[in-house]
Amino acid sequence: MAGDNSQGGGVDTPVLNVSGYSLSYATPSGPIHALTNIDLRVAHGQTHGLVGESGSGKSSLAWAILRYLPENAIENDGRLLLSGESLRDRTLPQILEIRGRRISMVFQDPSTSLNPAMRLGEQLSEVLIRHRGLTSQEALEESEAALARTGIAKPKDMLRRYPHEASGGEKQRVVIATAFACDPELIVFDEPTTALDIITAQQILELFNQLQDETSISALYISHDLGLVSRVADVVSVISAGEIVESGTCAEVFRTPKDDYTKALLGAVPNPKHWLGVAEPPPETPALMSAKGITVEYGRQSLLGQLLAPKPTHLGAQEVSIEVRKGELVGLVGESGSGKSTMGKVLSGLQDFDGTVRFGDRNFARLTEIDRAYRRAVQIVFQHPDASLNPRQRVREILSRPLKLYGIVPPEQRAERIATLLEQVRLPREFADRLPHQLSGGEKQRVAIARAFAAEPELVICDEITASLDVSVQASVAELLVSLQRQTGTACLFITHDLNLVRQLAHRICVMQNGKLMDAFHRDDAERPDRNPYTRALLKAVPPPASQAA
Amino acid sequence: MTLGYLVRRLLAVILVLFVVTFAVFAITMILPGNAAVMILGEYGTDEAVAALESRLGLNRPWYIQYLDWIGGILRGDLGQSLRLSLPVADVVGDAFWNSASLAVTALVSVTVIAIPLGVLAAIKRGTVADLIIGMFSYIGASMPEFVTATLLLIFLAGPALGLFPAGGFVSVGESLGGFSSHVVLPAATLGLILTAHISRQVRSEMSEVLSSDYIRAARLKGLRERRVIRRHALPNSLAPAVAVISLDIGYLLGGIIVVEEIFAWPGLGRLLIYALENRDLPVIQAITLVLATVYALSNLLSDIVIAILDPRVRYA
Repeated sequence: MAGDNSQGGGVDTPVLNVSGYSLSYATPSGPIHALTNIDLRVAHGQTHGLVGESGSGKSSLAWAILRYLPENAIENDGRLLLSGESLRDRTLPQILEIRGRRISMVFQDPSTSLNPAMRLGEQLSEVLIRHRGLTSQEALEESEAALARTGIAKPKDMLRRYPHEASGGEKQRVVIATAFACDPELIVFDEPTTALDIITAQQILELFNQLQDETSISALYISHDLGLVSRVADVVSVISAGEIVESGTCAEVFRTPKDDYTKALLGAVPNPKHWLGVAEPPPETPALMSAKGITVEYGRQSLLGQLLAPKPTHLGAQEVSIEVRKGELVGLVGESGSGKSTMGKVLSGLQDFDGTVRFGDRNFARLTEIDRAYRRAVQIVFQHPDASLNPRQRVREILSRPLKLYGIVPPEQRAERIATLLEQVRLPREFADRLPHQLSGGEKQRVAIARAFAAEPELVICDEITASLDVSVQASVAELLVSLQRQTGTACLFITHDLNLVRQLAHRICVMQNGKLMDAFHRDDAERPDRNPYTRALLKAVPPPASQAA
Repeated sequence: MTLGYLVRRLLAVILVLFVVTFAVFAITMILPGNAAVMILGEYGTDEAVAALESRLGLNRPWYIQYLDWIGGILRGDLGQSLRLSLPVADVVGDAFWNSASLAVTALVSVTVIAIPLGVLAAIKRGTVADLIIGMFSYIGASMPEFVTATLLLIFLAGPALGLFPAGGFVSVGESLGGFSSHVVLPAATLGLILTAHISRQVRSEMSEVLSSDYIRAARLKGLRERRVIRRHALPNSLAPAVAVISLDIGYLLGGIIVVEEIFAWPGLGRLLIYALENRDLPVIQAITLVLATVYALSNLLSDIVIAILDPRVRYA
């Protein structure tokens, strides 16, 4: 295979050589520059990390390399060389011979990149049939071996399954096996772990490193996550607004970043050793909210539904007890499907439940007992500000709703209060006139936070409020939340999957898995050896960023 | 899909049909005038009408008539036609097969034409081919049957060309050629709207599938476009089209009544109009029940086909 891989150049020729490459997209309002003067080399057996935030152009570069550009793309100058051969002047039939055979790709989300109506075996073996001319029987046998190398226990069985019959990790292993199947010269990894759960992501990362050792494949590893890239890449390039701002070995870039943007990015990576949160309330502080034995059953059916198509119900939460004290920030951590958002919905009065919620000196035993006073005192901020802000309302209207609803200030003072709220979340007061689509993602989330604090709540539930934001924005939103807590003394339940982040903010951390509360501990006790095994597995899956660890 | 699911669905179909029998019976009861009045016409003295009513059993309480009818159906006896003095099963049976030959011809040609048209429009999205197919669809979808039928009759059956007979019926058994020439115009009338509808549906499903991540992944594996379309895109865009086709069967059953009348096709539609004009209750009831059964079963069939096309759909 090595002979094939070096075609068109000696060992010194980089597998991928991008030089002076620029790309823009034609739009009705003029061209948009996506990439400017990109220089990037991937040497034999090297993993090159490409780190950038959303809109930085990192995906555009991947599409350019795979020659999968939209019709409005305009390539200006520069070269794209695969083992010394130019990719730019290839015809489509030639490109089809290269894709999957000489360059392959691993995608972000295996649940959308696999065809739901085809068996996994066919999706894997079709590249072998296409590029290596195997019969379907030979291809299936080869696929089985390829799948076994990715650590799938029963590869033969897996080949017969459809995507919906496999877990996220299994599906991504199939995608990876497909990418490796024809022994390509270069594999482009586009955020291959972002859509996966923490522990699964860690396993996929380990698999990547293992395959990298075994095959010495050359890889371009695209990610927004600096900490993650530091664990797989030899060389890192940082891309911002279509330009590579810094490039060097992993150790160089992480220890001695030169560019300001890189420094800012590194500084924004959450690090549990760097405490951001407010001072812990004294131990004798009474509980503000105390939920006991909360159980939520999803999928209850009507009598007719049970008759025609009975489905099993499913417990979203099972006997979960959580307590938040005045002024405290409690972290609620778990993977997707763990029930952490279910708890958020219960406590914000959006979901019926069994059990009791005690708030102040009042008890609530079901959804219908949750009243206006409770809803005012407990506010929620959701993950996606795009979905939680009404696109047709101006910021002024969005913020005045809670003010009106709960009569927080007299009508003549509303405008002034809206300005104050905007300033509190560090937005200019002129933003009151804007519509949500005129704001960036981080700005929208600030408006959502301002709306929650407008009601002057005693408890704010933050449901993954940083998950859809870029790293640098994430940090500033977290910091904002803490400063609001400091000013108002509001307690907070911070729901997240990001353990490093929550350890910077939370006094106490609760861990959920499959609807159950697995563990609850004080932040100082996080790394105690007698921690619950699941908590330990989670912590192990997200080691602190490399710069500090090194 | 489990056997239990199929059994439950069949039970649901039976439940629906039972409700339909009740609704049909209630409506025919409310209709003004009865068969006795219609048969006797202007000669119907009160005594004569009463005598005929009693002979036909129309003077019994409604629930007795209903139970009598239901009991008959369960024994496979649909009763006697009040007007034709023939067993309902014979009258409706003949008409059913005539209608079925028309409906099946229409549906098969629609499917064979509409799906490739939709796929073509999606692949050639934004080109002249897409534009022409789109225009055809809009025109087809916006013309009611009687307009389509009139236009087809004028242009293809009129004195100028005279390619096809203007109406009438030859059964498949008698002469396949005769059947074919007679079936073209009514089937085309029925099919035009459906073709337009289904091809648009396939186009929009196909376009969506073509922009999905897994199609991009398939292309980035270096697969040839033909395989990407046939093996990756088509099965995923057909399942929703099948759902639409099964809903369109309901439309087809309604359309057939108008079309059979225009083209003098001796099917269920014509018979239904005749029976309605003559208050021939057993015939009306039988036809309505047959149409409802066809609709319910075709929906069940489409669910089964969808489950085969889309492995994620698993009925338990």
